[in-house]
Amino acid sequence: MRKFLLAVLLLTLAVVAFSGSRVTITMTAGAVGKELEVLYAQLDVFMKQNPNIKVSVMPMPNSSTERHDLYVTYLASGEKEPTVLMLDVIWPAEFAPYLEDLTADKDYFELNKFLPGTVKAATVNGRIVAIPWFTDAGLLYYRKDLLEKYGFKNPPKTWDELVQMAKTITAKEKNMVGFVWQGARYEGLVCDFMEYLVSFGGDVLDEQGNVIINSPAAVKALQFMVDLIYTHKVSPQAVTTYMEEEARRAFQNGQAVFMRNWPYAWSLLNDPKESKVAGKVGVAPLPAGPGGKSAATLGGWMLGINKNATPEEKEAAKKLIKFLTSYEQQLYKAVNAGQNPTMMDVYKDPALKKAAPFMVELYGMFINAVPRPRTAKYSEISDVIQKYVHAALTKQTTPQKAIEDMAKELNKVLGK
Amino acid sequence: MVLPAVLVISVIAFFPLFKTFYDSFFEFGLRPDIEKKFVGLKNYIDLFHDERFLAALKTTVIFTVVSVALETVFGLLIAVIVNQPFKFRGVVRAAMLIPWAIPTAISSQMWKWMFNDQGGIMTKFLEKLNIIEPGFPILGSPNTALWAIIAVDVWKTTPFMALLILAGLQLIPEELYEAARIDGANLLQRFTKITLPMLSSTIAVALIFRTLDALRVFDVVFIMTRGSVGTETLAVYNRVLLMDRAFTGAWFGYGSALSVIIFLLISIFAIIYIKSLKLKLD
Repeated sequence: MRKFLLAVLLLTLAVVAFSGSRVTITMTAGAVGKELEVLYAQLDVFMKQNPNIKVSVMPMPNSSTERHDLYVTYLASGEKEPTVLMLDVIWPAEFAPYLEDLTADKDYFELNKFLPGTVKAATVNGRIVAIPWFTDAGLLYYRKDLLEKYGFKNPPKTWDELVQMAKTITAKEKNMVGFVWQGARYEGLVCDFMEYLVSFGGDVLDEQGNVIINSPAAVKALQFMVDLIYTHKVSPQAVTTYMEEEARRAFQNGQAVFMRNWPYAWSLLNDPKESKVAGKVGVAPLPAGPGGKSAATLGGWMLGINKNATPEEKEAAKKLIKFLTSYEQQLYKAVNAGQNPTMMDVYKDPALKKAAPFMVELYGMFINAVPRPRTAKYSEISDVIQKYVHAALTKQTTPQKAIEDMAKELNKVLGK
Repeated sequence: MVLPAVLVISVIAFFPLFKTFYDSFFEFGLRPDIEKKFVGLKNYIDLFHDERFLAALKTTVIFTVVSVALETVFGLLIAVIVNQPFKFRGVVRAAMLIPWAIPTAISSQMWKWMFNDQGGIMTKFLEKLNIIEPGFPILGSPNTALWAIIAVDVWKTTPFMALLILAGLQLIPEELYEAARIDGANLLQRFTKITLPMLSSTIAVALIFRTLDALRVFDVVFIMTRGSVGTETLAVYNRVLLMDRAFTGAWFGYGSALSVIIFLLISIFAIIYIKSLKLKLD
């Protein structure tokens, strides 16, 4: 028995010695649509190119809120795994103390070739803590066939136009609502609210981080959201329970004229197996507010490195991130998983134009997407915004009062 | 044998409890730049000035009182019925447990879909009965969401109550009923004079179990509404403080204070039950 154990021990030692420089790193990943499949294909290529690095994938829940909770647990415990973290665009400030500082590597990652907005989102107090992987912005999806049928040549340019078109069409079409969006109390509501807010000329915080939400523009924006449901009646009351997928389901079953959603919906809406409106869908920038300004909320994900990893693991992680955010891999991801590149040049690639024409056409919108408030206290701020916007949408308070209370509470959260 | 038991209990039960008590007197978070600071009772005082906490407290109490009351009444009713001899009784007893056997995370999601405005079967059903107008969001309205959640909880937990009470019913000797029948007691008298008194300790145990569960209800609320439109319970609020805000501010002491209050609330209910029903614990 003892001899056997000794043999096992020696064998183990031999294996360890021979594999010597082989590093194993873990990365977290999402599984929305074809995301995970595409990542596995990319990792196969990466591991062939780098035989001494093994990457194992930790699939995560789809909901960003639940991923946040898992990260809190991992990072707070001081574990070195996962090595590479997939981070929502709103998290870097909050998680910065636990992420490897990549400022010195910005040339290695060629960050000057990336969309400036995404790089800004990955920068906390002048330090770069993550590398943008793919980007997102709110879009207006519309039924091309219905707009044509009722003589509208172009998608709506302003919110008022959207209301008029929706009213005209739903008055004559059966079982049809005008406009679906994300009105449930969760992170997505903040994204939608930001779009109305900024297009009406307001904002949550100014450059110095002061709360500037309490403005007539903000009240008008929120009032407009409420009016969509109760006055214009172009949005069903149930939008107050909708997240992305509920809106997409209503739209792709042919029950809505307009939808606000992210780029991921495009390929699903045009899949004839799943969607009743395949081929009848158009996509445009979100309508503009009274001042003529249109705004789309910046979404997207980036890759950061766990500070507790060993130096070898960090080196391997940097190689992996460099690979995943390279031109070829961003193009591959955009074409196969429908996720927008963060590297500007990729938008000029003919292959992308063929696979997802709107990504190229709406490039200007992706580059100008509006960030949500950038602060380490983002989760708290988001929670406050969700609470008051949802209370107004469900008529528990008036828009005026909701904005006033929101301002008060935001000031308290930020200690002003 | 006493020592190891005490040791195990203190490690797994008392240590976390005391740690939570201790933490509730501090102001701290997980953010590295926040120092742990002793603040005394400040967290508790602040909690009782926190509208969100007060609203959650109210919601929790309403949820607990209504759902436990309904579950007890329905559970008793079902238990009495399935205690009678009839064909397929075994099958019925087993089938009745299905709602309780499905994990709450799954059944809540299932009910969320049934309450969905687009083709949710409950929505369609209530529309047909003209109780709600078409497209009405049951889980998106402050007037209905909490009641929908209570309905789901009653659907899910009544079988558990029925099972506990059924076990108690079977302990009542048949002779008691025979004697009562000979003395001319009618059905109602037999129920109130024999069944209920004999069942009191069983019902008390069931009530304690359910009340303690209901006071810390989290899953069904979190999945169905995430605490929106006035359905936030203490446990859901606690999650916001301890998870969503773990790295953003100094909320850990505050969250611990809230945990302590949930603990005290549960203890109060337990003591009331034990005293009022004269339950012997040993």
